[in-house]
Amino acid sequence: MLSIRGQRVFTKAKQLTLRRYAQVALTGENEYTETPNYPQIQDMALQARKLRKRQAVYEKIKKIDTIEEKQIALNMPRYYGWPCIMLSDDRFPYSAMPLVQFYTRTHFKSIETLPTAYSETSELADSIVNEIKSQVEDCIVMENISIRRSDDDQLEESQKEDNVAKNIVRQINRIITNNAADKVPHILPSQVDYDPRHEAFWFMGGSNVPDNVVNWRKQYAPLKDRLYEPIDRPVQYKGTPFLTVRNHLPLKPFVPYSEATNPEFKVEKFSYFPESVGYTVEFRHGTNIPGFWPGDLDEFGLLSFHGRGHILNRKESYGLQDNLEALHCQAMVASFGWLLAQANYQGFTSYNDITYPLSTQTVITNGHFISLYAYQLNTITMNIDMIDKNMKHNICFGTAPMKLFETIENSQVKGLNQDVLKMLVQFYLNTPEAREHEMKPYLGKDIQVIADIEDDNRRCWLEDRYKHLVSNRPKHNLLPEVYLWEKIYKIKHKTRFFEAKRRPFELGVNPYKRRLDEHLPPYIPKALRPYPKARKKFETTYYPEV
Amino acid sequence: MKLSRVLYAQHIGFMFKKHWLIQGKRVPIDTGLEQYLKDKGIQVEDALDFIKEPEVHERVDIIGPYERALPLDENHPNYKERPCYTLTNMNVLLEGISQAQVLTKTVIAEDKLPLRIEELAQLPAPKAVHEGVKKAILSANVFDCEQKKLPKIKDPERPAYNFTRILGITDRRRNQILTNKLMQLIEKSSDVDVTQSKYVLNDIECRTVFDKENELIQFKDVSNILVTSNKPLKHEIDDRDIPFIEIPDLYPIKHTVTLPKQHFYDEVSKYPISSNMLSKHPHTTWLHYNATEVKNLYEEPVTPIQVLGRSLTHTFTIASSFAKQLYGEDIKDLPEPVYVNCIQTDGQRYHFGVLELNTLNVSGTDGTKNVWFCKNDVKLYDSSRYLGGMPALENYNPAVYGYINAFYNC
Repeated sequence: MLSIRGQRVFTKAKQLTLRRYAQVALTGENEYTETPNYPQIQDMALQARKLRKRQAVYEKIKKIDTIEEKQIALNMPRYYGWPCIMLSDDRFPYSAMPLVQFYTRTHFKSIETLPTAYSETSELADSIVNEIKSQVEDCIVMENISIRRSDDDQLEESQKEDNVAKNIVRQINRIITNNAADKVPHILPSQVDYDPRHEAFWFMGGSNVPDNVVNWRKQYAPLKDRLYEPIDRPVQYKGTPFLTVRNHLPLKPFVPYSEATNPEFKVEKFSYFPESVGYTVEFRHGTNIPGFWPGDLDEFGLLSFHGRGHILNRKESYGLQDNLEALHCQAMVASFGWLLAQANYQGFTSYNDITYPLSTQTVITNGHFISLYAYQLNTITMNIDMIDKNMKHNICFGTAPMKLFETIENSQVKGLNQDVLKMLVQFYLNTPEAREHEMKPYLGKDIQVIADIEDDNRRCWLEDRYKHLVSNRPKHNLLPEVYLWEKIYKIKHKTRFFEAKRRPFELGVNPYKRRLDEHLPPYIPKALRPYPKARKKFETTYYPEV
Repeated sequence: MKLSRVLYAQHIGFMFKKHWLIQGKRVPIDTGLEQYLKDKGIQVEDALDFIKEPEVHERVDIIGPYERALPLDENHPNYKERPCYTLTNMNVLLEGISQAQVLTKTVIAEDKLPLRIEELAQLPAPKAVHEGVKKAILSANVFDCEQKKLPKIKDPERPAYNFTRILGITDRRRNQILTNKLMQLIEKSSDVDVTQSKYVLNDIECRTVFDKENELIQFKDVSNILVTSNKPLKHEIDDRDIPFIEIPDLYPIKHTVTLPKQHFYDEVSKYPISSNMLSKHPHTTWLHYNATEVKNLYEEPVTPIQVLGRSLTHTFTIASSFAKQLYGEDIKDLPEPVYVNCIQTDGQRYHFGVLELNTLNVSGTDGTKNVWFCKNDVKLYDSSRYLGGMPALENYNPAVYGYINAFYNC
């Protein structure tokens, strides 16, 4: 609290000095036009004014030049981070599908064969499958039987399954890329990542207003009529695929972009609390990370492999159908999360929708069963202002889990499913292409990442601040909290009314409503200030202005 | 009214904290009781005599997610009387390469690699491949998104000063990314026939147990990348003009120094791939040197010589465990030498080595010896990091890729 006061005093003093030197603006010569040019009449209703205020923020974020500053800007309103609904790629509560579909705005389409876009690589895939068939069989035998890895008894079944799957995925990736590198040009320059860090953050409107928000509003008379005004719920996805392949060019969309508004793809609204399904809330800064920092040129994902060990952790009573849906959920949330983070690196955010579709391919496997998904991202704005207006939906094509092979007998693979292998090879053969439209309309012309900034101080400061923000490391000071004893003796029963009111809840202050820049910048000791006389006591900060 | 009094009254946590403070400062007062009792003829005993014995708790069997391991002591069923000197990939030999020479009975050909490797290393690689290597270096050092605690920064001038803990890419992750990406790049740019005959494994453990001068020694090592092939690796070596470094005398140090004794071990060596597989022959092994994980037994910093010693013991572990799988546990002199290539790296420096395993009889210094060809300390780049907020890669050395490629393709 002290630091806030210090900051406020400081800014006020600054305003005073500025006001003294303010001058009357010079009148221009072309003040008059032939026809009267009236400003647009604005709706002055409260909701309309609030909307304009929000839209002004969205517009400011759109105009920021660099990727990293946009990410800081998304986090500007909250010093302690957002209370995020945490989605992950390895835990799905019972019946999560409606929530996941709504929160990722994804229409799910069950398929048995790949979409038509893949048909052109069919022949090449056949020949590759014939060449690699025996190698794949060998690697399955090797990884399942012939290699004795040091086994850890303390691992749970799901972890063991994931470990086996991870090794098989690496081998299959190795076999296919080695074979296809000569045949298609995009394999050689593509980068393969093991266990990358995927995180995505967005705002979700359309859900019911939580009780604590309603209760808070009830305290204030002006909010009496606005108790159930919708709020944005921040959502954070965190996941770690086994392996991803990325390239400097994006994949082609599976369906034309105009199809995005097709009413067939409409997703049913899910307005219940995510907590009631089994998701939890965590305070953290929102992060968008597709496995690499801004500046890496291979910024479009082609393919990602995920494990399905978490299915073993689910209760038996959930049933087979729900397990299948959990896999679909995993594919949707993982694909959406990765693509959203990639879209953020193209300069779009949860407030500024993408102007072109992005697509990716996702494989979920345990080394024996494989399910394949093709995902197309058409929209990323789902905040309260857009949730009902936005007609676009994302599309996910997915198969049920298919057996890669039947059994292993006498160190021989029996019944290798060549169709599945072919589909997998076709995923690799899906060639990324350069797009004809502008890829980064909301980023600067010359300055797109902070490494491009010329001012040394600004660049270094932003770099440090960005990495510190996305690391989500714990704060040095503990977070503000209402202690249990206070709740009993001060809030529920007013037994200490005679004491001085010092705590935030007694002053009617929400300590969490503090902006990211509401802190004292680092102090410059006198000895380190530039010679001869410098009055500047605090270092400059370069927070984006939103 | 003082605020503290109110807090004492109702905030129980605060009260306990204060109580602890007050009680912590208590001074024993001589009440004169002891003297009084003595006068009465009652024996006074020191209270400390009663609290000396720590209470022994009976072991309670708890049903948990997995069975609890038995305590590792003499009553354990796997406890063995005879101690085994153990070297793992986490510790190093005190004398480094010289001690490794004694332990493995190896002579060294310094700065000499088999001719075929030297020839292959000179072949120029296409530009696209070098671009790929640069990408891999940047991706491992700069662009990866891991943010974990890095080692504490210490200033020897002010050892108690706490610097801000930096989050970043750990050395384990950096090495993993870099070596795997280099491997992928080499495989993608090699012929399909070559890659088909090879197999690449990650993080795989080998173990070899042997007797040396009536002492049992085991090497347990993890190969971070193990390339195996369908055919045994062969090198044609003309060793007439090579000035070998002979096995040194370590006196007054014994060759088992800094090898901790273990009483729990397996007496059989272990090569991870079963013998009926076609691609079981070890070809090239990659060993990571992670400075945060590899430690001296006595806490001194690890020296470059000790790092070089790791290459030799590591390669010996893989070669000998394979030879034992091939010819049996008791084989001494091998009918045919086993060759294994080794690349050790900390991401920046590369140490290349080729081991010719001729014998597993490592006692003494006479008779058949093993041979270690090596080329050490080649730098792939000078530095790669965020330099003033910008990704930087300084002085990339293209020659290293040639050697790595030659090791794979030979």
